[in-house]
Amino acid sequence: MVVALKKEEILGLAEKAVNLAQRKGVDEAEAFVYQGLTTDVSIERGQIARSSRIIDRGLGIRVIVDNTIGFSYTNMLESEAVIEEIVLKAFKSAKASKPDKDWHGLPTKKTFSSVKGTYDKRIVELNSEDLVNIASIMLDTAEKTDERIFPIEGNVGASYLCKAITNSNGVEGFDHGTIVECSLETIAREEGEVTPACFEFNIERTYDMNPEWVGKEAARLAASALKSKRTETKSTDVVFTQFAIQQLFHYTLINAVKADYIQRNQSAFKGKIGEKVASEIVTIYDDGLFNGGLRTWKFDGEGVPQQKTPIIDKGVLRNFIYDNYTANKETKESTGNASRAGYLSTPNVEATNFRIMPGNKSPEELVSGLKKGLLVYYLQGAHSSNPASGEFSVVATPAWKIENGEIAYATKGAMLAGNIFQVLTNISELANNERKIGQLITPWILVENVKVVGK
Amino acid sequence: MKDILSKTIDVAVQKFHAEYAEVRAQKLFKTMLTLKEERVEAVKQGIENGAAFRVLVNGAWGFASVGTFNAETLTNAVSDACKMANAASSRLKKPIKLVDTKAVQDKVPLKTRKDPSKISIEDKVNTTSTMSKTILDYDSRIRSCTIDYLDLTGTSYFINNEGSCIEQNKLYVWSRLLAIAAEEGVFTYSREEIGSTAGYEIFDVETPEIVGERTAKRAVEQLKAKPPKGGTFPAVLGPSVVGVFVHEAFGHLAEADLTLLGSVLLDKLGKKIASDNVTFYDDGSIEGAFGSFKYDDEGVPTQKTLLVKDGVVVGLMHNRETAQKFNAKPTGNARAEDFRFEPIIRMRNTFIEPKDHSFEELVEDMKFGYYLKIFRGGQANLDGTFQVGVQEAYEIVKGEVGAPVRNASISGNTLETLLKVDAVGKDFELWPGRCGKGQTAFICDGGPHIRVKEVLLGGSA
Repeated sequence: MVVALKKEEILGLAEKAVNLAQRKGVDEAEAFVYQGLTTDVSIERGQIARSSRIIDRGLGIRVIVDNTIGFSYTNMLESEAVIEEIVLKAFKSAKASKPDKDWHGLPTKKTFSSVKGTYDKRIVELNSEDLVNIASIMLDTAEKTDERIFPIEGNVGASYLCKAITNSNGVEGFDHGTIVECSLETIAREEGEVTPACFEFNIERTYDMNPEWVGKEAARLAASALKSKRTETKSTDVVFTQFAIQQLFHYTLINAVKADYIQRNQSAFKGKIGEKVASEIVTIYDDGLFNGGLRTWKFDGEGVPQQKTPIIDKGVLRNFIYDNYTANKETKESTGNASRAGYLSTPNVEATNFRIMPGNKSPEELVSGLKKGLLVYYLQGAHSSNPASGEFSVVATPAWKIENGEIAYATKGAMLAGNIFQVLTNISELANNERKIGQLITPWILVENVKVVGK
Repeated sequence: MKDILSKTIDVAVQKFHAEYAEVRAQKLFKTMLTLKEERVEAVKQGIENGAAFRVLVNGAWGFASVGTFNAETLTNAVSDACKMANAASSRLKKPIKLVDTKAVQDKVPLKTRKDPSKISIEDKVNTTSTMSKTILDYDSRIRSCTIDYLDLTGTSYFINNEGSCIEQNKLYVWSRLLAIAAEEGVFTYSREEIGSTAGYEIFDVETPEIVGERTAKRAVEQLKAKPPKGGTFPAVLGPSVVGVFVHEAFGHLAEADLTLLGSVLLDKLGKKIASDNVTFYDDGSIEGAFGSFKYDDEGVPTQKTLLVKDGVVVGLMHNRETAQKFNAKPTGNARAEDFRFEPIIRMRNTFIEPKDHSFEELVEDMKFGYYLKIFRGGQANLDGTFQVGVQEAYEIVKGEVGAPVRNASISGNTLETLLKVDAVGKDFELWPGRCGKGQTAFICDGGPHIRVKEVLLGGSA
C-alpha cells in the first residue's frame, strides 16, 4: 500500500525549500506542503461499482525578490533536483514579474489557535471494505424507502489531510485532519414523469455518520417531487434549505465581505461597516475555529492563526475578512482567511466556516407558520449570479408549495429572481437546524417577498 | 518509462487476475498568471508528474493515483487499485464489461507554431498586462479587472493490457478576462474566455487589445441596461448562448453515463425531440479547437459524432463501458482532467449545425422579444430543466434590436424548448470554455444564431 509521509518528513521538505531559496538570495520565502489521501467507494446506477485511492501531495514555494512575487510547485517530492528546480523557477518567475508597491512582507510568527473535533483516528483506519459496507446500508435503505426511486449516484469517502508551512520570518506549522462523507442522489419515476435529481449527504471531521438517514432522506425527497405542478408568477414567502442558501451565498454574499473585493471596488458592502445591511435577527461569524468545522484548522494558508470574526451582528455589518496582503494594505491584522488550493496555488482571501447563527423555531414550525409559500431545496444556475451586484435569477429544482402550513405539492421549473442584499433584509425567521455545507454553517431561513416567475 | 509502466500492467493481470488494466502517466508543465488590475499577483510555474491505474477485477472498477514514477510506488499503487476493485466487487449486481476496441500504437507530436513553453515569462506578463491596461483605460467607470492566464504542456502515456501504447503531446493555452463597471450603485460584470490547443499564436488573432476592449465595452454598456420583464417571450439566441444551451441543456443529457442515470433522453433514441432544422454534433477533430485531441483517455480515437439529425436523436457520447451497454461504438469521449482523476464521458466541441437564415430574417417578424447575445453560465438537470444566465441581452421591438437588458436568465425544459426552435441562422461561431463534472474539461460550444418561439425569462426583483 502507498503510505503517507510523516509530520517530520513534511516539515523537513518545507524547511529545505525555504533554505534553498534563501541561499539564492531572495528577500523572503515561504513553503507550503500539502498531502491528501482519499479512499472512496462510488455508487453508480443503483450499485456499488468502483473504488479508488488517490494520493496527492506536493510543495509550493513563494519567493519575494525586490517586492516582486514568484511561485512554483511540484508533486515530485522524492527528487532533490526537482525541489531545487522549482526554487529556481520561483526565483525566475519573480524576476520576470513586476514589483508590487503594496507588498509589505510575509506574516510573522504568532501562536497558533487550538482546534477541536478535526481529527479522528477511526477515519484514517477505514478501509475500502468498511466504506463498501456504509455504502450498502445507504443504498439498501433508499431502495426500501420507496420503490419509485432509483439511486443514480453516491459515494462514501474518507480522507486524511495534512499541511505544513514554513517561512523566512520563522513561521512554522503542521496540522492534520480527517473528513468522512457519504452522499446519495436519487431520482423518482412514475407514469412517464422523471423528477429532478434529489440529494442528501453527511460530512463530518469525526466518525459520526448516519447512512440510513442519508439513504432515507434522498429517497423521500425524490418521491415527494413526483406529481409536480407548474407555479404562477408572484411574490411569496420562501423557506430556503441549506442547499439553496449555500448556492445563493457562495457566489454573492461571501465575496462581498472579502477584503480583496472591498479594496478593488467590487463589493456592495464597501464603506458600510457599522451600517444595517440585514434584518436584525441575522448574526454571522466567519469562524475558523468552529468545533468540527469543515474548514477548521490551526492556521491558514499563510501560517496565520485562524480565528472567529464577527461579520454581521444583529443586522449590522461589523468586519470584513483579510489575508496578510489585504490586511497590510489597510494596516490591519490578517483575520486568518488566506486559503490555498493545496500546494497548487498562492493564497487567496476565502471564508472559513461562514456561520449564520440559528434561531429557536424548528424547521417544521417555519413551514407551519406560512399560509402560502415555497420550500426551496435545490437551486440551479446560482453560479450565473452577478457577483458584484448580488442579482440572481435561478431555477428551483424542485421546490415544494406550502399551503395552510403544510407542504402541498412539488413544483417544477419555478424561477426565483432578486438581489441577495435585499434577501438579507427580508429574512424574517431562522430555524434551529443548523448544519455544515461547504463553507457555510446555516439553518433553514425564511425570506419574505421573493419574486417567483412561473407560467 | 514505457517498460516500467508495462510491468505494472503485468502485475495487475498476472497477480490480481484483472480482466482489464490500464495506466495513464503524465508529465505536465504549467505557467499561470493572475493580474488584479495592473498588479501581477504572482507568476506561477508548476512541474507535475503522476500515474493513474484503472483496473477491472471481478467486474468492478478499481482506481489508484500517485504523483510519482518510482517503480516500487507504482507497483504498490496498481496493487491498491486491484484490491479496491476487489472490495467494490463484493456487492456487485451487474459486472461491468467494456466494448471491444482496436489496440492502437501511436505517437502524437505537437503541430504548434508557437509552443507556449518556449515563450518567455516576460512575454506572458506583457500580454496579460496589455489586456488589463486596455480594460482599465477604456472608461473611467471600469472599477476593476482580473486577468487569468494558463498554459499547459506535457506528455501523456497510455498503456493497457490489450496492446495499446500511445504517447501524446498535449498543449493548452487559456485566458479569462473579467471586468466590473459601476455607476450610481449599479454594478455590471463582463467576462471573456479564450482557449486553444493550437498554441500561443491564438494571441495573434485574439490580440490582448481586441479581447480587452470587447470585455470592457460590454461592462460599460450594461450600465445603461434595464432589468428584463419576467415571463414567457420569443427570443433570438446568439452563438454563445446557443453553445451553452446545446452543451448544458442537451449535451449533458446525451453523455451516455448520464443518459443511463435516467436522463430524459433514455427512451428517446431514434425519436424526434426537436424541430426539423436542428442538427447537433460533438466533434473532437476540429484542428486547434479547445476541446480537440487525437485519442481519448481510454485510447479510443476521437471523431465527429452526430447526436441529433433533423430533430431525431441518432447518437450518444460514449466511453467503452456505456458503448457496451448500448451495443454502440465508443465515440472517444472518455476524458480525465489529469492523472488525479478517472476518465469519464465528457463533451469536446459541441454545436448546432448552421442552416439558412440571416440575422435580420430571424429578428424581422418579432413584435416583442429578447436577443440573448452572450452567456454568463448555465446548468441542467437530468429531468431536462435547464438554466442559462446571460451577460449581454437586448429587447427586440417591432423587428429591431432595441434597448440593452442586464442579468437576464432563461429557463425551461430542454425537450419542450428544442421543439420550439423555429429558425436556424447561417452564421457560425465556436466559443471556448471549461466544463465541470467533478473535474474540469476544456471544451468548445457554439453554433449559429437561432430563434425560439418562446422561452421563460427570469426577471429582476
